[in-house]
Amino acid sequence: MSGIIDINGYTNQTLDWKAWLDVVDPACATPEQTAVLEMSHPKAKVSDYYLFLVHQPEILRQRSEAFNAIMYAPGGLPRAERELSSTVVSRINGCVYCASVHAQRFEQLAKRNDTVAQVFSDPRSAGVNQREQAIARFSIKLTEAPNDIGPDDMRALHDAGLSRDEILDLLHAASIFAWANRLMLNLGEPVFPEQPGL
Amino acid sequence: MEKTTTAGAPAGTGDVIDAIVGLQASDPLHATRHARKKVVDATQASYDLFFRPGDVRPGDVRPGHVRPGRVRPGDAGLPLAERLLVALHASLLSGSDALARHYRAALAEAGADPQALAAVEAGCEADLPATRLREMLLFTRKLILRPVEGDEAALRRLKDAGMATPDIVTLAQLVAFLSYQIRLAAGLAAMKAWGSQ
Repeated sequence: MSGIIDINGYTNQTLDWKAWLDVVDPACATPEQTAVLEMSHPKAKVSDYYLFLVHQPEILRQRSEAFNAIMYAPGGLPRAERELSSTVVSRINGCVYCASVHAQRFEQLAKRNDTVAQVFSDPRSAGVNQREQAIARFSIKLTEAPNDIGPDDMRALHDAGLSRDEILDLLHAASIFAWANRLMLNLGEPVFPEQPGL
Repeated sequence: MEKTTTAGAPAGTGDVIDAIVGLQASDPLHATRHARKKVVDATQASYDLFFRPGDVRPGDVRPGHVRPGRVRPGDAGLPLAERLLVALHASLLSGSDALARHYRAALAEAGADPQALAAVEAGCEADLPATRLREMLLFTRKLILRPVEGDEAALRRLKDAGMATPDIVTLAQLVAFLSYQIRLAAGLAAMKAWGSQ
C-alpha cells in the first residue's frame, strides 16, 4: 500500500512550516548559530523552524543532540517503530506538520503505510499486529496521562515482545515528541501545498 | 565533599533524572538507561542550560541545588526564579508530584516572589497583576495542557508584555523540555517499579 493519505485533516504529503515571529537570517548568523544549524538538520538553513529556534543556539544544540540520538541511534527499537510512536503522539497532540513528516519516515523505513492510515483514522485502535498496537497504546497514554503510566503498562509492552532496551527507546521517542509537537504547534503553522484547481 | 541529598538522590551521579526517579547505579535499569549515553547527556545538558549557573562542576549537582543570584550570560531576560516558577507550574499542571517537589525545593533556594509562588501553587496565575510573569505562566498553561490551541496571538501577547524574541524561544523551549522531562521521569519510574516486582 502506498500513495497519498488524507484523513481527518492529517496527510502524508510534504508540508512547509512558517514561523509567527522573526527568524534569524542565515546570512547574518554567528559562527555558533551556523554550527548548530548544521548539526541540527541537513535543511536547517532553509527551515523557518530551525532559523527561529537558533535565536538560542545552545538550547537548540542540546535539543538536536537528544532528538537525533533518540530517533536515529542504531540498535534497540527498530527505527520504523520509533517513527510509529512519533506519528501517534503527533496525531494525539494535533500536530499536522509533525504527523506528516514522521508518517513519511515510517513509510520509508517500513516500506508500507497501512499503519499510517490507521493512525490518522483512529489512533486508539491503530496497529497491524499486537506489537504495533501496544506501541500505539503506550504512546497515547504517555501523551495524555503520563503520571498514570505504571508497571502494568510495562508488562503490556513486554508481553507484546518488547525488550527492556526497546521499551526505553520507545519511552524516549514518545517523550521527545511531547517536546517537538509543542514547538511546532505554538511557534508557527504548517503551509499546505497549493491544490490544483483551487 | 559532602554527598548527602535532600531527595534521596544517588550520591555523586549528578544526573537529575536519575535523582528524581531514584535510580541507583546498582539498578539494572540504570545500565539500560546509561547505554543511551547521548540521550542522558543531552537531557542533562538541556536541564543545565535552563536551570544551572555556569560554574557548577560535573558531579557537584543535586536536586533542588541551584545557586541564587547567578545567571548565565544572555539569561538576563528570564531570571532563574521565573524559570523555576514556570517549571513548578508545568509540573503541577501535569500532575507530576516528583517534578513539583524538585522544582519547589529549587525555588526555596532561589527565592521566588511569594505572591507569584502562591498563585502557581493554587493554579491561579490568571489572578496575578498584569506582568510579563503572568503572561509567561498563562502561556505555560496552554502549552502544557492544550498545545493544539497555540496561536500567533499568544506569541504577540508575550511580545506586548515586553519579551524579546530570543526570550520567547527560551520560554517555549523550557516548557516543551519540561513536558519531555515529566514523561521521561514517569516512564522510568514505571520501568523501575516493574523491574522490582
